[in-house]
Amino acid sequence: MKKQDENDDRVFKRDLLASLPNLRAFAVSLTGRHDKADDLVQDTIMKAWANQASFTAGTNMRAWLFTILRNEFYSQMRKRGREVQDSDGLFSERFSVHPEQYGRLDLQDFRKALEKLPDDQREAIVLVGAAGFAYEEAAAICGCAVGTIKSRVSRARSRLQELLGVSGEGDFGPDPGDAAITQRAFGS
Amino acid sequence: MSEENRKKNEMNTAHPQEIKPGSMPPNASISRKLREFYNAVQEEGIPDRFLDLLERLEQAEKNAKSVNVK
Repeated sequence: MKKQDENDDRVFKRDLLASLPNLRAFAVSLTGRHDKADDLVQDTIMKAWANQASFTAGTNMRAWLFTILRNEFYSQMRKRGREVQDSDGLFSERFSVHPEQYGRLDLQDFRKALEKLPDDQREAIVLVGAAGFAYEEAAAICGCAVGTIKSRVSRARSRLQELLGVSGEGDFGPDPGDAAITQRAFGS
Repeated sequence: MSEENRKKNEMNTAHPQEIKPGSMPPNASISRKLREFYNAVQEEGIPDRFLDLLERLEQAEKNAKSVNVK
């Protein structure tokens, strides 16, 4: 084994590991369930590993991995047909461990709303709005035009607003801490 | 992290031409909720099963290579 190969392997593994939390969050967003998401991530890791040679070092590994995971997700869905979405018990469990941390944001409601979006809209808003991809990168990952991604993101936003009943700024009051400061500032 | 912040700002201010006056705050809060949701999953870290899997893949590759050399 050549030194260079060894070094490439190390870099590949390091970059793969660094991308995993983000990749996994994308999988949870797509499937709506932790158990299914982790199976999907596992399949993606194996695919990526087997196709190491086809990855061009120095290019965007994250985009490459997301593309593999996305393709895997849709091909599995086609094979199995869409199973009835069960509420993600595992997800509830994990998020109820620290209710104080998540209580204010009600992430359960958000997850449910996200689940109601059509797949193409959901992946678009997640890639651009949370996973940290530019519109162009998201378009490449989804194999569609940049304009298509933009309109999907925009439709996803409107639909989420409807679903969550977010009507305006009033839904997001200031943090209790901020309110206290405001009170102190104007109280005297 | 600064890259992420840049994206966050982009998300809130992207293509203003598509946004009607007054619809900006709800969009911003949707974006924020989405990121909170996503970050909560990211912060769970990497489950051991994936670390184990990578170890096994790496080991299998090493074994295969040493066999090839012989």
